[in-house]
Amino acid sequence: MSAVQAHEPKPRMIVPQSLQGGLVSLAGLAAGAGIWELIGRHTQASSFAPFSETVKALWSITKSGELPRALESSLQLFGAGLGFALVIGFVVGLLLARIRLLRVGLEPYILMLYATPMFALIPFILSLFGFEFRAKVIVVTLFGVWPILINTLEGARSVSADLLEVARSYRSTEAKLWRHVIVPYTLPYTMTGVRQAIARSLVGMLASEYLLAATGLGNLILTYTNRFDTARVLAAVLVITVLATILMAIGRAIENYFARWKAGV
Amino acid sequence: MTSVPHAVAYPRPWRLGAGTQRTLIRIGTGVLLLVLWEVLVRWLAPPFVARPVTVARALPHVLANHVPAGTPTFWGSVEATVIAVFEGLAIGVTGGALVGLTMGRLRTADRLLRFYVSAFFAMPIIALVPVMTLWFGYSNTVRLAIVSLGAFLPVCLNVYDGTRSVPSSFVEVAQSYHARWWNVWFGIALPSSLPYLLAGFRLAVGRVLVGAVVAEYIVNLKGLGSMIVFDSRTFHQPQMMVAVLVLAVLGVAINGVADLATRRFLPWYRRSE
Repeated sequence: MSAVQAHEPKPRMIVPQSLQGGLVSLAGLAAGAGIWELIGRHTQASSFAPFSETVKALWSITKSGELPRALESSLQLFGAGLGFALVIGFVVGLLLARIRLLRVGLEPYILMLYATPMFALIPFILSLFGFEFRAKVIVVTLFGVWPILINTLEGARSVSADLLEVARSYRSTEAKLWRHVIVPYTLPYTMTGVRQAIARSLVGMLASEYLLAATGLGNLILTYTNRFDTARVLAAVLVITVLATILMAIGRAIENYFARWKAGV
Repeated sequence: MTSVPHAVAYPRPWRLGAGTQRTLIRIGTGVLLLVLWEVLVRWLAPPFVARPVTVARALPHVLANHVPAGTPTFWGSVEATVIAVFEGLAIGVTGGALVGLTMGRLRTADRLLRFYVSAFFAMPIIALVPVMTLWFGYSNTVRLAIVSLGAFLPVCLNVYDGTRSVPSSFVEVAQSYHARWWNVWFGIALPSSLPYLLAGFRLAVGRVLVGAVVAEYIVNLKGLGSMIVFDSRTFHQPQMMVAVLVLAVLGVAINGVADLATRRFLPWYRRSE
């Protein structure tokens, strides 16, 4: 890298998604599948399955209805848990931001719970709420609620004093203040926690399926593992990976949407 | 929260200082939460469910390793988990920083690897625990692999973001002074992405703890995770809650040390309030 080169224009920076880049990415994917296939062919069937076997297994569990049923059950759990996490995190976050006593009193405990691996609390939840759908939704919510709550709290606390004062000097009531100033201002901040909430809720979903009533994708993974059916295990893991990638992309889209809104204010 | 921003706060002799007041409120809420837990569990839950009183009673016994014969000892479990967590953090953070740096500086590496890193980052790593028992057997390797992977991914992605956001003028100035690539990588890109690395580290701590506990549970390794499951199955919930508390303290402590280190070594970096 000489000084002269540094001043040359960098076409690759200007055209970020060039054809070349796409080809390299594709080559990366192909290489990954190739390595997977090679490793699979040269190891015992009970420990690893080649890519082609995995695809075949994926097709067979899709056709038999096992996978769609598991996916449906897992997504119901995930959706319900994340939904509660969003609502509870947002409402509690706003309350904490507006009521100083609550905030000062609860903040250290919330941060402590945020740092606790929720997985460790599952046996406790089991003893309180059983192991059926309700308990599992509680687990997913407990995993997912913290990023939402903390981001909402930070957002609502950063509402500029000017906005509040203008609203107050127009004799806005607390209810109107919430509706027209605080909630719209805070929502974009809340949404910056969505991706993390999605990721954590997915962990919660699998964790509750492992530890509470075995259902859904977690059950598929455990069952196939116990049968040493490696191809199907890998197929289920692949499905979870794809599902997670799609959900994270949705989360990113939501974040970007609200970020644009925030920039527009 | 005052509506008059320039009101001067005169010290009033009969009022407590803000700090004392805050501490009192915190302690008060803590006590209130404990009482609430005690009352609700007594009232609604079966008698074996842990309550603050029973947890407090179990605490000294657990800390003194006084557990029924044949059950995992407390300090042995703590040691196993803590060592695994730190090994995983060391491997994952180092590897993540190096790979993130490479992806941030080399376009080809970025294109080849980004898909894999973001896919693995998105997926719950604990989905891999059962498969890993097929690969590594029911051994500590499973826990180490899960924990390292859990630390690797957030650090890698964050360092990647950090490296991408290094102002290009820094790099250009360095290059015009004939900086070699390793000067740019380790002298500019890595230090300037340290705040990102720390943000990744915080995520990593959470993931690593969950990963360790899940692996210990499913693979049945000695550690806090298996202690929790064992105690809950044998209806020793107060003992179990002690292990849960230790995990919480561990999470808070590791992040606290990271905060201290940030303030000590990166005084120029302020976390947004």
